[in-house]
Amino acid sequence: MSDEYENKTGYQAQSSETIGGGGSGTVSDVDHVRPAEIPEQDLYHGHSFITKWIFCQDAKVIGVQYFLLATFTGIIGLILSWLMRLQLGFPEAAGFMTAEHYYQFVTMHGMIMVVYFLTALFLGGFGNYLIPLMVGARDMVFPYLNMVSFWSFFVAVGVLLASFFVPGGPTGAGWTLYPPQAILEGTPGSGMGILLMCISLVLFVAGFTMGGLNYLITVLQARTRGMTLMRMPLTVWGIFTATILAMLAFPALLVGGLMMTLDNVLGTSFFMPTILKAGEVLEYGGGSPILFQHLFWFFGHPEVYIVALPAFGIISDLISVHSRKNIFGYRMMVWAIVGIGGLSFFVWAHHMYVSGMNPWFGFFFATTTLIIAVPTAMKVYNWVLTLWRGNIRLNVVMLWCLGFIVTFVNGGLTGLFLGNVTVDVPLSDTYFVIAHFHMVMGIAPLMVIMGAVYHWFPLVAGRFLDETLGKWHFWLTFLGAYSIYFPMHYLGFIGVPRRYFEMYDSPYVASAVGMNEFISIAAFIVGAAQLILIFNIIKTLKIGKPAGHNPWQANSLEWVTPSVPPEHGNWGEKLPVVHRWPYDFSVPGAKEDFITQTTPPSEVIETEVEKT
Amino acid sequence: MSDPKIEGYEFKPGFKGMAQDTGSDQTMFKGVHWGKAMMWIFLLSDTFIFSCFLISYMKGRGSTLIDWPNPSEVFALHVGGVDVPLLLIAIMTFVLITSSGTMALAVKYGYEKNRKMCGWLILATAIGGLTFVGMQAFEWSKLIHEGVRPWENPFGAKQFGSFFFMITGFHGTHVSIGVIFLFIYAYKTFKGHYDEGKRGWFTTMKGNYVEIEILGLYWHFVDLVWVFIFAFFYLW
Amino acid sequence: MHPGIIFFLVILGSLLFHIFTPWYWTDIASNWGGMDSTITLTFWVTGIVFIAVCLFMVYCIFKFSYKKDRKAEYKPDDKKLEKILTLVTTLGVIALLAPGLMIWNQYVSVPKNALEVDVMAWQWGWQYRLPGEDGKLGTTQVININDNNPFGINLDDPYGKDDVLIQSDVINLENNQPVKILLRSVDVLHNWYVPQFRAKMDAVPGIVTYYWFEPNKIGKYEVLCAEYCGVGHYAMRGGVEVQSKENYNNWISEQETFNDLIAKQKNIEFENKKIVKNNNFLLNKETYKEE
Repeated sequence: MSDEYENKTGYQAQSSETIGGGGSGTVSDVDHVRPAEIPEQDLYHGHSFITKWIFCQDAKVIGVQYFLLATFTGIIGLILSWLMRLQLGFPEAAGFMTAEHYYQFVTMHGMIMVVYFLTALFLGGFGNYLIPLMVGARDMVFPYLNMVSFWSFFVAVGVLLASFFVPGGPTGAGWTLYPPQAILEGTPGSGMGILLMCISLVLFVAGFTMGGLNYLITVLQARTRGMTLMRMPLTVWGIFTATILAMLAFPALLVGGLMMTLDNVLGTSFFMPTILKAGEVLEYGGGSPILFQHLFWFFGHPEVYIVALPAFGIISDLISVHSRKNIFGYRMMVWAIVGIGGLSFFVWAHHMYVSGMNPWFGFFFATTTLIIAVPTAMKVYNWVLTLWRGNIRLNVVMLWCLGFIVTFVNGGLTGLFLGNVTVDVPLSDTYFVIAHFHMVMGIAPLMVIMGAVYHWFPLVAGRFLDETLGKWHFWLTFLGAYSIYFPMHYLGFIGVPRRYFEMYDSPYVASAVGMNEFISIAAFIVGAAQLILIFNIIKTLKIGKPAGHNPWQANSLEWVTPSVPPEHGNWGEKLPVVHRWPYDFSVPGAKEDFITQTTPPSEVIETEVEKT
Repeated sequence: MSDPKIEGYEFKPGFKGMAQDTGSDQTMFKGVHWGKAMMWIFLLSDTFIFSCFLISYMKGRGSTLIDWPNPSEVFALHVGGVDVPLLLIAIMTFVLITSSGTMALAVKYGYEKNRKMCGWLILATAIGGLTFVGMQAFEWSKLIHEGVRPWENPFGAKQFGSFFFMITGFHGTHVSIGVIFLFIYAYKTFKGHYDEGKRGWFTTMKGNYVEIEILGLYWHFVDLVWVFIFAFFYLW
Repeated sequence: MHPGIIFFLVILGSLLFHIFTPWYWTDIASNWGGMDSTITLTFWVTGIVFIAVCLFMVYCIFKFSYKKDRKAEYKPDDKKLEKILTLVTTLGVIALLAPGLMIWNQYVSVPKNALEVDVMAWQWGWQYRLPGEDGKLGTTQVININDNNPFGINLDDPYGKDDVLIQSDVINLENNQPVKILLRSVDVLHNWYVPQFRAKMDAVPGIVTYYWFEPNKIGKYEVLCAEYCGVGHYAMRGGVEVQSKENYNNWISEQETFNDLIAKQKNIEFENKKIVKNNNFLLNKETYKEE
């Protein structure tokens, strides 16, 4: 066991080293960076197949594991959405589907996409791979815990998918799992289904707490020399803030889920009032369904920012690199991320305007919700101002960024409709809400994920994904998804409620049929278009164009590792030393249009850089 | 506790110092071991869990239409022919707070590398915790015997039993997990794992006396949560 | 084709879709036109922002496309510009919030002359109750609900006896008479929603929720359940018929009150007792015969 710890690669503690080698010249004074505060991290190197690829403690491997499992779950979610759209667009063709099935698909699709796909992908996938690299650490601070966190997620997914096979099937209560219906007959999966869902969520929260501790402490306590918080790329700020939100919001979900499980299994009445069912008064009494809603949305609203903030951070970096221009207003962007994160805890009841809660809460939450629009708008302005007077490379990555801007602005603005309490009254529980959250939570973050995949694939795999296939992938996805969700808002205007298996016998039938058919066809096309990416990845891994070192000519630390892809320990013998922020693009007086974070001032003495 | 010595870094006092630390490179919390920082953040998250429980409990109790049972009566012990209200809880609280005291002492002796004192004090803490759990189990069995169930009870509102068992159960589980770790750490202390830096069985990282301080943080948290439960559930 | 052109077409297409869409809100039939006005204002503000930001983006990708010998502008921030943008955004937000909150204030302040209508929701249907001549609804309890007392009215409550019971999915309302909808559920969450009236609120078991509106257009409207309540959610429909004062008064005079229901049941009981008596007599005759 002990030979796994020998510093085989000869890592040196750098406590007394300075870049200039401790000399007395003026050049080394300019380049001086404080010595290291702590000795080098003790890393466990696996040697067997199992310890190198299965129970691996390397954050990069764990990141890829999260990415693959989250994507696998996401594909299941995608298939469920096709089944839903089949019923809504072509009900005669969906004759095999009962209302029970439909509601089970609705529920599982929602829960999978929000929690098991998006959250796991951004935090577990991108977080694990990029955070240590971008802050200059060799790995996460607790690699063993990190490894356990992935396997906890794995079991959580297993339990969730197992609910498809239990008597009664998976829960069909809607991803919001509202009681009393979630645990009563009349809702599918009200026995085993909801129980397994709650167990799966508890396992998920446990795993993401373990992961979250890693991401937070690595960012706070394991940065390399010269890396201040205000020199971190916005990707790290986004994921870091999202992790803080996760640590504080998941408890409410855990508590709500636990109490609902007790109501289901032990017959407690936390959320269950007096209920008359099939002519019989049930044993429950005295509970409050609205209490569950408060607990759920205290989690649920920060949850959407847990998905959005990493997306905001990543897109800032992608736009910056591919416009060869610093992100406009970096400090404001950091404060906006932190501000949005903090405010997100004070807006939850905008999901409950018509829930029957105290009406006076409506005033408070409408105000806080519309306040949160301000820092979000500032971020949007800063993204487009980054493009202004940039030197924009219109490659596939930039296309995804542009697609993000269009879809996020659209989705974010429809949020202003719903946040304004009065306007929410007619629109709540209609297709307007579905269109809003798919646009802002589904399509916009998806644009970011795709852009990030095309951007970092050369780092992870050492090759470029094919540009032509990438462009086809982008245009089909962007145009297809936009044509699904933009018109859907108008179905909400005519009042079509959500979670309706069918609209039969209603004046809405005539007007909504054609639209539903169109949306369903678009959905099938967009889903199929994702095969282009899968084909692209497989083709590239076999015969793709090699990317070499720092192919995008970016500045942040992940691009300056000694080997590509980076190996375990990331930095080889010497940890990087940071001298500047990651946005020194197109600096006046510099030879190239980029200056990496590790470039010492003495090498660019004639430039006018921002003091960071 | 004085500022740690860090080469090339000058500490400043007060908020200015905090701001400087936050704006500096490498670490935000100077000289703080990664494991300690981790425990603080985990405890913050755990605080939110217990807060959600207690706020839900207050909501449930505040809106009950059926009278809530009187805690002084329900939790009284009949000793020597006299009904002593809240006797058991008082003893439990005393035991837990004392165990926090022994834990703090254990941490001190640990840093002084006094293996024997440290080990005995950890063991004392563990036994304190075990006693607490035992008394909690006794209380549970007494109430169950009197007809209190999670779904109903003979004293008043249904939710009394539900909240009681759920919150004390969750807390008791936390205490039990702590007790298990305490016994393991007592063993490791006596065996000298922290002196020689022996690598752990799971994480394979080198042992260090700071682990006892980290467990101590957890134990004090468990104690503090009990004080809140005691105040909200039993005294109100 | 330059991507900028496609993005421009997307923006143009969105605008045209909005202007020419056949799918827009239903004709309003209640007093909540204020909600519609706020939505229109929101469309103007958000529409201008959407088009401005996206057109700016399109302009940038045309004007500033990559040239090898060119360098981007190096400008980390512009504090003055950021201040102006923050201010303008805040003003925009206030412009939306102010009318919104004023109308919400109206929504939570029920007019004194509103007629209370008890809407009882269950899986998966509706029934209604009106106050009757004494102008007050009787109190109810879920445990009282049975075949003889479908609304669960407390028998010892004097106000409940004259309540008008409508055991149907369809309720009639008087035109230009404000109503306060009192929502009750006996099992799970539901929501009584008529798109033409704009207003809605969840019905929560265990409490009574409310909202109010004033219908101002005669006609027949569909009621949709707007809170997921199980497999029958989509089929849980109802109806509202808004009538003139005269027709409404005719309709209400034909409806059954709780007193009527009680009386009807007493009659049935009496008839049943008679039948039972007769049956027994026959039985006795049989036994007699055997002996």
